[in-house]
Amino acid sequence: MIWTVLFVVLMADEPARVEKPIGEKPTAEQVRFFETNVRPIFVEHCQKCHGSTKQWGGLRLDSREALLHGGDSGAAIVSGKPNESLLIRAVRHQDENLKMPKEGKLSERQIADLARWIEMGVPFPNSPKVNGRSRDPNHWTFLPPTTPPVPVVKNGAWLQTEVDRFVLAKLEANELPPSARADKRTLIRRVTFDLTGLPPTPDEISAFLADEQSDAFAKVVDRLLDSTAYGEKWGRHWLDVARYADSNGFDENIAHGNAWRYRDYVVAAFNRDKPFDRFLVEQLIGDLLPAADEAQRHEQLIATGFLGIGPKVLAETDEAKMRMDIVDEQIDTFGRVFLGLTLGCARCHDHKFDPIATADYYGLAGIFKSTQTMDQYTKVAKWHENLLPSAAATAMQADYDKQLAAKKSAVEMFVANADKQAREKLAADGVEKPPEKLEALYPAATKAELKKLRDELAALEKTPPELPAAIGVTEDKIINVAIHLRGNPLKLGDVVPRRTPPVLRGPHVPQFTDKESGRRQLADWLIDPRHPLTARVFVNRVWRWHFGKGLVRTTDNFGLLGEAPSHPELLDWLARRFVADGWSVKSLHRLLLNSSTYQQSSSPTAELAARDPENRLLGRANVRRLDAEEVRDAILAVSGQLDSTIGGTLLKVKNRGYLFDHTSIDLTDYTSRRRSLYLPVIRNNVFDLFQLLDFPDPAVPNSDRATTTVPTQALMMLNSDFVMQSASDFAGRLLAEPGDDDQRIARLYAIAYGREITIEERQANQSFVAEVEKTLAANEPDATKRRRQAWNVLCQLIVAASEFVYLK
Amino acid sequence: MTSINFPSHFTRRTLLQRSAVGFGSLALASMLANNSSINAASTDPLAAKQPHFPARAKRIIFLLMSGGPSQVDTFDPKPLLTRDDGKPLPFAKPRVQFNATSNLLKSPWRFRQYGDSGLPVSELFPHLAQRVDDLCMIHSIHGTNPAHGGAMMKLHTGSDNFIRPSIGSWVSYGLGTDNANLPAFVTICPTLAFGGINNWSTAFLPAVYQGTPLGDASVPSNKARVKFINNPLLPREVQRLQLDRLNAMNRDHLERVRSGDGRVGNPAYELSGPEASLEARINSFELAFHMQTAIPQVEDLSAESVATKKLYGMDDPVTENYGRMCLMARRFAEAGVRFIQVTHNDSKVQWDQHADLKNGHEKNAREVDLPIAGLLADLKSRGMLDDTLVWWGSEFGRTPTAEGTRDGRDHNPEGFTMWLAGGGVKGGFRYGSTDDYGYYAHEDKVHIHDLHATLLHLLGLDHERLTYRHAGRDFRLTDVEGNVVKELFA
Repeated sequence: MIWTVLFVVLMADEPARVEKPIGEKPTAEQVRFFETNVRPIFVEHCQKCHGSTKQWGGLRLDSREALLHGGDSGAAIVSGKPNESLLIRAVRHQDENLKMPKEGKLSERQIADLARWIEMGVPFPNSPKVNGRSRDPNHWTFLPPTTPPVPVVKNGAWLQTEVDRFVLAKLEANELPPSARADKRTLIRRVTFDLTGLPPTPDEISAFLADEQSDAFAKVVDRLLDSTAYGEKWGRHWLDVARYADSNGFDENIAHGNAWRYRDYVVAAFNRDKPFDRFLVEQLIGDLLPAADEAQRHEQLIATGFLGIGPKVLAETDEAKMRMDIVDEQIDTFGRVFLGLTLGCARCHDHKFDPIATADYYGLAGIFKSTQTMDQYTKVAKWHENLLPSAAATAMQADYDKQLAAKKSAVEMFVANADKQAREKLAADGVEKPPEKLEALYPAATKAELKKLRDELAALEKTPPELPAAIGVTEDKIINVAIHLRGNPLKLGDVVPRRTPPVLRGPHVPQFTDKESGRRQLADWLIDPRHPLTARVFVNRVWRWHFGKGLVRTTDNFGLLGEAPSHPELLDWLARRFVADGWSVKSLHRLLLNSSTYQQSSSPTAELAARDPENRLLGRANVRRLDAEEVRDAILAVSGQLDSTIGGTLLKVKNRGYLFDHTSIDLTDYTSRRRSLYLPVIRNNVFDLFQLLDFPDPAVPNSDRATTTVPTQALMMLNSDFVMQSASDFAGRLLAEPGDDDQRIARLYAIAYGREITIEERQANQSFVAEVEKTLAANEPDATKRRRQAWNVLCQLIVAASEFVYLK
Repeated sequence: MTSINFPSHFTRRTLLQRSAVGFGSLALASMLANNSSINAASTDPLAAKQPHFPARAKRIIFLLMSGGPSQVDTFDPKPLLTRDDGKPLPFAKPRVQFNATSNLLKSPWRFRQYGDSGLPVSELFPHLAQRVDDLCMIHSIHGTNPAHGGAMMKLHTGSDNFIRPSIGSWVSYGLGTDNANLPAFVTICPTLAFGGINNWSTAFLPAVYQGTPLGDASVPSNKARVKFINNPLLPREVQRLQLDRLNAMNRDHLERVRSGDGRVGNPAYELSGPEASLEARINSFELAFHMQTAIPQVEDLSAESVATKKLYGMDDPVTENYGRMCLMARRFAEAGVRFIQVTHNDSKVQWDQHADLKNGHEKNAREVDLPIAGLLADLKSRGMLDDTLVWWGSEFGRTPTAEGTRDGRDHNPEGFTMWLAGGGVKGGFRYGSTDDYGYYAHEDKVHIHDLHATLLHLLGLDHERLTYRHAGRDFRLTDVEGNVVKELFA
C-alpha cells in the first residue's frame, strides 16, 4: 500500500490546510500493526457514527487527515502524544461527557494499542477505495459555459435552427435518423398548449391549415407569444420554481393576502419579455433599485416577494432558530432556483458531494441575515410587507386619520358637555365640591349614548385601512454570520465574512461592504455573463418545459449528484446564445419551437424506439400529459365556460387570517371559472383536483413536475362535480348549436380534439348516446331530459379520454 | 372480489407486465395468477412486498389524540406532584417554552392500579383501565418541537422543518398492500390544521403511497368519505356503459399513438415509452370503477351486530363518533390495509387544554375511552390483536406546571406517554420514566425517531434499510437517527 497523503487545494483564495506527513514512510511493521490492531477498532466501534456516511460531532475516523483535523471538539489525535489526544481520553472514559464508544468501553489491550499507534506517529495507510467523483471542483458545472462550434451535419435539409445541428449531429453519430415532422393539427395543438396552456380553437386550426407559406408555424408561435395567455402559462412555470403560495402552510397556515401581486408581476414579466437577468435582479434587490416612476417602484418592491413567500414555522418558540430557519429556506431556494445546487446541506456539514463548504453556506447566510424578511419573531411571527406608496394610498390613510380625529373629538365634546350638565345639576343640588370624575353621575341615557360613541371609536381604531402592500424584503442590520456547528444556533464557530461560493468560477468576485446586505453584489454576480450556472440552469428549464425532459434531466440539481447533460455542447451553446440575445425568453422560445427537433412526430421508428427507448437523443417528440392547470382550463375552455379575466386575487381569507384552524373547515372557494393560475394555492391543502394531477408541493421549488397515473385521478374524472358540471355545460353548448346530431358529434371532436371525426367514431358515439338513453328510461320518464343526460355522459367521457389529456 | 371482464385486447402477459398503476392492478393480476407464473410484484408499486425480516405485526392502527393529552393526568401518576402542588418546579424549565407556566399543578384525577400487571390509570379512562394487561406503556417519549404544527409533522414525518414522507407512506412503500382494491394507507377524519396533508403525504415518494383521507376533522365520521368515491347522478349501469365506451376510445387512441411504421410487436418498445402510461391509464379507470364498490363496502357498518356496535359505544351519542371511526379501522385492518390512522377531533381544541383542563380532558376522555377499549377487545376476540399493532399517542404531552388560572397546562414535548398494544409488544408493561414531577423524560428515553424505528421494526422493516433515493441521496423516515427499543418486544 502506498503511503501518500493527497492534498487537494480546493480554493485558490484560501490557504491550503497542510498537515506534515510523519516524515518517514511507515514501515512494514507499522502497517501490519495498524491493519491488525488498530483499523479493526475503528471499523467495528467508530466508523458507523464517524465515517463516510455519518460524522457525529463533525468527526470522521477514517483517515489520518480526518483524525488530526478532528471535529467540533477539536483534533482527535495529537501525533506522538497519546495522553494529549482526545481520542485516548474518550476511550479511557476520562471525561464524564466524553465516553466512547457508546456501546461500551474498549478492552485495556485495545486502548493500549491505540496509544502505541499514536506514539508511532499515526501511520494510517489509505484504504484503496476512493470516490473520485466526490467534491470535484473542476466538474463542468462549476466552470463557465464553453463556446462550442456549431456541428457540421450531413442531412442539411432537415435543419431549421442551429439547435437542430447539435441534435442531428448526435443522431448521425449514432446512425439514427430523426423522426418525420408531425402533422399540422398535432403541431398546433402541441404548441398552443405549450405556450398558453389552452387548446387551439377550431378557427385557429383552420387558419393554420389554410396557411401554406413556409413560415406558417413561426407565425403561430409569434401569435401565441403575443397573447396574454402566454404569460399565464409561463408565469406559472416560474411560480413552480418560486414555490409560490397564497398561504404560509407549515404550522400556522395563514393567508399570504398580498402574494397575488407577486404572481401578477411574474405573469406580466413574461408577457413583456422582461430580460431574464433584469427579472432575476428585481426579485433579489427590487427594493434597492432606482425607479423612474411610482409604477416601477411598486413593481420592484413586489418582485422581492420571491424572497418573502417561503414557508415559515411561525409558531417556532426559539427565535434564534426561527431566524436561521428562514435564512436557510432562502439560501436553499436561492441555490436550487438560480444555481441548481442544493446548498441547504452545508448548514450542518460540508456538502458531501459538491465542493460547497459549511463556510460557503454561512458566507451566504450573512447576506440573507442582513436582509429583513420578518417584522416580528415572537409567535405568531409576522413577515415583512413593503407598503406600496401612492396618491390613492395616501388619500386613504388621510381619510381614515380624519375620520378617527372626528370621532375622537366627538367623544371629547360629548364628555365635556355631559360633565357641564352634571356639574350644573350638582350645583343646583347644593354640592360645593364636585368630584373630579363625573361620569358615574351621568343619567342612564347619557351613559348609554357615550358607550355607543366609544364603541364606535374603538371599532374604527381596530380597522385601519388595509393600505396596498406586498410581501417582500428590505435591508436589515448588516452582519456577518458565524458558522453554526452542526447547524446549532447555540454552538458558534468562526465568523465568515459574506461571500459567494468560491468554487463557482467565471464571474468577477464581489466585494461586500458594511453598508449593504450584499444582495446587490450577489445579484450582480449571478447575472455576470461568465457565471457558470445562471443561464445554463434557466435554458435547461425552458428546454424541460417544452420537451418534457431537460438536457440535464435533474433540472434542479446540477451538482455532482445531478445527471450529466445529454447534449452538453447544446446546453452551453444555448446558455451563451441566451445571454447574447439579451436574456430574452421569447427569443429562446422561437429558437426552440421553430426547430425541426421540436416539430418532430412522437411516433418513432422501431429502430429508434429499440435503440433509444428513453429518447435521450431527441430523435422524436415526447408524448406528454397535460398539467393539472391545463386539464382544468381545457375542460372549461371546450365547455365554453372559461372566464379569461386577468389578475387579482380570489382568496376569501383576509391577509394573515387562518386558512385552517382546529375546525378543519376549508374556507377556500375553488368554484371560480377563471384560469387555474388564479385559484388560490394553499399550502398543506392544495386544491384536490390539482393534487391528484401532480401539482407540485408549493413549499419547495420544483421545475420538473411528475406525471403519475393513479386510480383516484380516474375517480375524479368520473365523479367530480367539476367534471360533471363542465360536461353538462359542454353538452348544453353543443345542443344549442344549429344542425343535426351528426354535425354535433363532429363538432364535439373538432372542439375537444382539434380533428375531424371518422365515420366509425361517429357511428360508435351515436349508438352510445342511444344506448344510454335507453338505459336511462327506467329512471327518467322525460325524453328531453334523457337526451340531455345522455349527451352529458358523452361529453364527460370525451374530456376524460386519453386523447383529451395527452398531447402527441 | 367482483369479477370483471377485462379487455380482450390485452394478452395476459402484457397486462401483467404493464400494470404499473396503483392499488387495484394486483387484483387483476391475482385473478389471473392461478395459471401464470409471472410475478406481478415486479411492476406494481403497491404489490405486497416481503419485509426485511419476519414481522411481528402486519399493520398499524394509529389512534391520534390531537392536541396533546396530559401524561400526568392519564397514565403517568406523580406522587411528588400531588405533594408539592402549588410549589415552584424544583428544577429549570426548558430553554424554549411555548407559553409561560407558573407553579406545579397536581392532577385533579385519582389513579388506581389495574389488572394482573397493576399498571396505573387515572379515572379518566375507566374502560381502557380494564385492558391494561394488553398495553405497553412508554412513559419516556420526547420530541423537540413545542408547537402543534411542528410537533405534528415531527410525529408523522420525523421532520419539523422539511416536507418529508409520512410514516404511513413509508409503510406503504415498504410493504405494499394486502388488498389490491384498497389503498395501503387510510386516515380517518384527519385534521387539516398543523401541517394538514403533509401529515399523510408522500413528499418525494411516488404518489401511490399517499394516505387516502376519509373526510376530515370538520365532518362527523358518518359523513367521512373518500373524495369522488361515488357518482351523485349516474346509475351504475350507465356508468358501466360510459366506461366501456371510454375504454374503447382510449385503446383506439393508444393504437393511433403507436401507429408509427410497424413497431407493434417489437418487445423492446412495448415495455417503455409513453404507451406504458397510456395503458396504465386505461387500467386505472377500470380499477377506479371497482374501488367505488370496495371502499364503501368497508365503510358500511350495517353488517355489524348490535353487540359489536355497542362494544364500540355507537349506541351513545358521546362515543358514537369516535366509536364509528374505531370500528371502521378494524374493518380496514381486516380488509388488508397496512396503516390506518384514526384522529380524535372535536372541531374545537381537542386535547389542547391550556385552560379548562378538568372539563376538557373529561370530555375528551369520555369520547374515546370506551371506543378504544372496545377496539382492543374486538381485535382480541377476532384473533387480530396478535398481528395488529395499536398505537395511541399525540404530538406532545403537557406541563406538570399550571398555565393561567390553575386549570390548564401548556404544551410539553420534553417527556410524555404513548402506548402500544398487540402486534408483538409486551402487554401490561411499562418502559421508561419521566422525572418525579413528569416534566422531562428521564430513564430509557425514547425519542420520536426511536419510536419510528421501533414501529418499523415491528412491521419487519429495518429503518436504516428502508430508504428512497431523492435529489441525489437516500432518505429514510428516521433521517440519521433512531434506535429500536427492543425491550418492548414480547
